[in-house]
Amino acid sequence: MSEQMENKKFRSKRKNAIAGKTLVYIILLIITAAMIVPFLWMLSASIKSNREVFLMDPFVWIPEQPKWDNYIKIWTKIPLLKFVQNTVFLTIVVTLLQLLTSSFAAYSFAKLEFKHKNALFLAYIATIAMPWQVYMVPQFIMMRGMGLNDKLLAMICLQAFSAFGVFLMKQFYEGIPSELCEAARIDGMSEYKIYAKIMLPLSKPSLSTLTIFTFVNTWNDYLGPLIYLKTETKKTIQLGLKMFIGQYSAEYGLIMAGSVVSLIPVIIVFLCLQKYFVEGVASTGLKG
Amino acid sequence: MNENKAAQIRQLETDTEQLMEKIRQEKDIKKKQKLIAEREKKQRKLTAVRNNRVLSRETKRDLVAYSFIAPNFIGFAVFTLVPIVFAFALAFMKWDGSNEITFVGIDNFTRLADDTFFLAAFRNTIIYVIGTVPLTMVASLALAIVLNQKIKARGFFRTVAFFPYVASLVAITAVWSMIFHPSKGPVNYLLLKVFGVPQENLPKWFSGSLVLFTLILFSVWKYMGYYMVIYLAGLQGISAELYEAGSLDGANTWQKFKYITWPQLRSTTFFVVVMLTINCFKVYDIAVMLAGGGDGKLSTSATVLVYYIYQNAFNYWDLGYSSAIAMVLFLMVLIITLIQFRYEKKINS
Amino acid sequence: MKRKLLSILLTTSMLAAVLSGCGSGSGGSESAPEPAAEAESAPAEAEEETAQAPEAEAEETASGEAITLKWAIWDKDITPYWQAIKDTYEASHENVTIEMTDLGSTDYMTVLATELSGSGSEFDVVTIKDVPGYATLVSKNTLEPLDSYIADAGIDLAQYGGVDKQVTVDGSLYELPFRNDFWVVFYNKDIFDNAGVAYPTNDMTFEEYDALAKQVTDTTYGAQVYGTHYHTWRSAVQLFGVLDGQHSILDGQYDFFTPYYEMVLGQEDEQVCRNYADLSAEGLHYSAAFSGGDVAMLNMGSWFISTMIANIQSGEYDASLCGNWGMVKYPHAEGVEAGSTLGTITGLAVTSVSDQKDAAFEFVKWVSGEEGAKVMAETGNFPALMNDEIADIISGLEGFPTDAESKEALKVSNLYLEVPYAENVSAINDILDTYHKSIMNREISIEEGIAAMNEEVGKLGQ
Repeated sequence: MSEQMENKKFRSKRKNAIAGKTLVYIILLIITAAMIVPFLWMLSASIKSNREVFLMDPFVWIPEQPKWDNYIKIWTKIPLLKFVQNTVFLTIVVTLLQLLTSSFAAYSFAKLEFKHKNALFLAYIATIAMPWQVYMVPQFIMMRGMGLNDKLLAMICLQAFSAFGVFLMKQFYEGIPSELCEAARIDGMSEYKIYAKIMLPLSKPSLSTLTIFTFVNTWNDYLGPLIYLKTETKKTIQLGLKMFIGQYSAEYGLIMAGSVVSLIPVIIVFLCLQKYFVEGVASTGLKG
Repeated sequence: MNENKAAQIRQLETDTEQLMEKIRQEKDIKKKQKLIAEREKKQRKLTAVRNNRVLSRETKRDLVAYSFIAPNFIGFAVFTLVPIVFAFALAFMKWDGSNEITFVGIDNFTRLADDTFFLAAFRNTIIYVIGTVPLTMVASLALAIVLNQKIKARGFFRTVAFFPYVASLVAITAVWSMIFHPSKGPVNYLLLKVFGVPQENLPKWFSGSLVLFTLILFSVWKYMGYYMVIYLAGLQGISAELYEAGSLDGANTWQKFKYITWPQLRSTTFFVVVMLTINCFKVYDIAVMLAGGGDGKLSTSATVLVYYIYQNAFNYWDLGYSSAIAMVLFLMVLIITLIQFRYEKKINS
Repeated sequence: MKRKLLSILLTTSMLAAVLSGCGSGSGGSESAPEPAAEAESAPAEAEEETAQAPEAEAEETASGEAITLKWAIWDKDITPYWQAIKDTYEASHENVTIEMTDLGSTDYMTVLATELSGSGSEFDVVTIKDVPGYATLVSKNTLEPLDSYIADAGIDLAQYGGVDKQVTVDGSLYELPFRNDFWVVFYNKDIFDNAGVAYPTNDMTFEEYDALAKQVTDTTYGAQVYGTHYHTWRSAVQLFGVLDGQHSILDGQYDFFTPYYEMVLGQEDEQVCRNYADLSAEGLHYSAAFSGGDVAMLNMGSWFISTMIANIQSGEYDASLCGNWGMVKYPHAEGVEAGSTLGTITGLAVTSVSDQKDAAFEFVKWVSGEEGAKVMAETGNFPALMNDEIADIISGLEGFPTDAESKEALKVSNLYLEVPYAENVSAINDILDTYHKSIMNREISIEEGIAAMNEEVGKLGQ
């Protein structure tokens, strides 16, 4: 009797578990659909003609005659190549500088003792909570005073030295046992060598995380370039795309093709680094 | 030179001895410790002088440390710290970027109270924050819990959830404004055909009272994946033993969440909420791109603080006033962050 | 002791880094009084210069000293006349080189204001795209008053038909117009033919216009034809109200907009025109709307003429959809003369930081004078200096509608600037824009919107 009941209980529990799992999958599929449908729509619209884009009855994902030439046209309608070049240059320089300088500084904050350490770190932390928009105007005036208005260099100065990067890397380095460094010091390694030979190789996950953040932010930044970059030949892809949407408002296919092109580099970077990503976030102790 | 050195060494030696004497006589523990520290300092210096080292070890250590920090800190100080100080000062000035700066005290702030557009921007920003922060938090936590379980194609789901965050705003808002197009978009088409909403009642997603709702919906969609990753990281930090113990005590899923997951994730939640709040107050491009129409101008139903800062700075060249609005923005962020710190502390103690 | 010194040194050097940033930061602010001071001394300087002007000019021509003028413009590649002006001017002034800098048309005036703020700008001549931007530049003391130059050169301002008065600031003029666009109604003849409706005429009242738009509309799903189209700019709707010559957007009381909002919103309800919320959501450009072949009438500025001609010729627009087009004068209220319309001027100004103001003004004078007008007309654009000869050049261009009505439509009797000058015109402009948006999106009623306009603009005056 009791055995039977146990059995029943067990079975119903299993049933529950299966039902729960199914529910989880259904919810996941719905969320996934919500996440991915806009991207599929973008791809689909990018090979459609203007009339087909909003055609609902019947709705097709791939039109009978895909307009692949949308992807050729966009390069001639606006100087897209120039925009891509600018953005690639900017993003790569900013990302490299960011990785280098902030991991450098973070090492010092995490593993070295020195005067005014706390005060300096506090200065970093305090500005994380300060939205950029609060000081963007004075910053712009200052940059203009330095003759950086309408220069790509301005964007580099603006984005390469973020407090966030230092914070992130410091959290990660603190997770690495100090004994490692101590041992190296006893062996007579200089601090620079310890940083280069021991810390850097260990920080792949967190560097990947920082790369994704920096790359995505720089690539997608809109307000910064809007304020600083004025000449058409210096504009970034986001500004260019926005300009394109303004000029060719009814050319939905072209707009979507341009959008797809603007997404490709970030997605490549993301897919390459994503296997380190969750690990990276976990190890940086971003969780608190 | 040598004589000098000898004299210095002698001086230091007598100093240390005197200190030693003092230490012996001193009764107060604290003072004693202080004296000991002082003696050690002298002694270190003594060895430094004896060994002919110009820099003491501490100085060298500091120098090395500063050399690590300098590349980032100089850039950070010049391009971030200085403008921040400047921003605070500018809020009390009147300046158009060309003519002379004049000090106006708190005039810029008193003007705010009677400025319809500022008040609208303020109200909209608050509504947006109140709507977006909890929704994003709940959604990303739920997603993280689901994606932390052993399910098939977990990596795929995680990647997909993170996609919107990676996508550029200009591109993705263009898609949204097509999908939610008030008369031609597929969403309204479904409402019309499947749910039978009459044509004249179809929602206009980008204007009127709905626009803030659309902005919130969009933000949750776009940023949920990002915060999900942070929660995932937090979840992975919870030891499995806790759950096993919970299972032994017969806790059900909800109880496990309530008594294990949630308290364990408290610091993660704190971080998520603080970051979310800061980011939400910064909202600008989402509003301009979704609700700005062709000319990127926002009406009172969709205007936000940063938009009004931009307008005042770059259209009216009223730099002092725009800085004053920026200060309001900063104060809001500061207050909310402080409240959360307090709360966090209270729970911890 | 030494150690302490060193650490002090170190921190001070770091501080110095901060301060150097500070220095350059406040450098920006300290430099601020400079232009102001310069501007103060500018009149004196200008007088001096003009006193010396004949001499200097003689010198220039004698020695043929090379001069390079830096000129701010927008959209170099898609606007034909910049290059044409540069080429023609350089051909007749051998010692002068014009160097153009393209600042792009989006936010051109904002960008220009940024460029001219503080010191360091190298522009000698700048193009003024709109009046709010002009007001900003004038209040920032970045433009040179041209009165003494105009007097010396003996320019008769009457040739601009009074628009100069609408941009005069405290008795001084800071720009000379070289381009003057006015609004007309474009229409698609094929649509009227298909519907069997008579074409619009050069003398329509608003009632007639409204009725015509409704008559030609076809709401059949899939074969929709819109009787008319209004672009999302507020000028396209509310400024019907200023055509009677008794109202202006500087009034502070905007109740005269009401009938026109009622007309347009009424047309939206009957699907006579596309709905504002849709247009705004997709950011539809008026050229895309008109060239799509389902819009019968479009009220737009005369700049659209050269766009139409060029794009139909290049095949960018489908000629079978919109190739058969014409235009007529703006509709008018009962009792107002036909041919009253809105205008927008584009001007040239000399910067106050330029160190070759005479040469710069010489260029400005030339472009806004008869020679410049000819260059403009030949590229299909309307110069500020308009006369019958110029009108003939434009209506004789290939691709210009051949009917007599369209040619007649170019004759303007009264021109009212979309935005005349006032000190706080930027703010007024934005207030009107905002509530225009709210009214057209139907977030608030017409009465509420206009009450809000009255109230907000009223606040500015205080």
